[in-house]
Amino acid sequence: MCPIDCNDVLTQIELYLDGELDVSLHAEVHDHLGTCSDCADRSEFQRRLKAMLRAKCGCDEVPAALLKRVHAILRETPPTSR
Amino acid sequence: MARRQAAPPDDPALRERFEREVLPLLPNLYSAALRMTRNPADAEDLVQETYLRAFRGFSGFEEGTNLRAWMYRILTNTFINSYRKKQREPVTVQEDDLDEWYLFDKLGESGVEPSAEAEVIRSMPDEDVQKALEALPEGFRLAVLLADVEGFSYKEIAQILGIPIGTVMSRLHRGRRALEKALWERVRERGLVSD
Repeated sequence: MCPIDCNDVLTQIELYLDGELDVSLHAEVHDHLGTCSDCADRSEFQRRLKAMLRAKCGCDEVPAALLKRVHAILRETPPTSR
Repeated sequence: MARRQAAPPDDPALRERFEREVLPLLPNLYSAALRMTRNPADAEDLVQETYLRAFRGFSGFEEGTNLRAWMYRILTNTFINSYRKKQREPVTVQEDDLDEWYLFDKLGESGVEPSAEAEVIRSMPDEDVQKALEALPEGFRLAVLLADVEGFSYKEIAQILGIPIGTVMSRLHRGRRALEKALWERVRERGLVSD
């Protein structure tokens, strides 16, 4: 079987970083990235971009008023029976 | 918003479980609500409505299934049904002329070394990145938010949004390219690279 080339790898990077490739293709991409610095640079950039999005867009402080409103729901609302 | 009259919960164990497992999701749900509604007042109302619906329907939640995805599905449906109509949608981006490696290549063309490219983005203020994400058209924004910020799998996103996995992949791919374009514009506005 031919090893996968840069073009193949670059089209799979998105799924690779999302953890959505099957085990064997994931391993092939992983091995390629260990030997090809151009593909590795691109993959690493996308990986850090994802991490940065998570860090910058997912850590807003919850307003105290909202916390109170949510606790009030638990105090005042009966769960509907099945 | 009309609220039911106060009454004791009919199942204390259910209430305890809700407190233990669903309340800790509040910070993430609030961040997601902010990215969806793009303003704090609507985000607070959206999260409150989500918790109200979730608590009322909690007895129907099947133990052992994905609680986080269940909560995000309620959040997303509530957003789509109640809040979206109030908002003006941004103009749809022309996604078809965006290169596969748009941001990486733009930074490279401006002389940034590959090893330093991510650092340029990391140095951007949080607000710039949030605004770039919030400016994406809704279909793209929800897909990118659920995948990259919340870490859901394609299958989970398909269930949350009620769309096929192929559509999730397409929206994610196009949404990420559009986001890269918006980030590049912010990088240039901030003068983080030399032209």
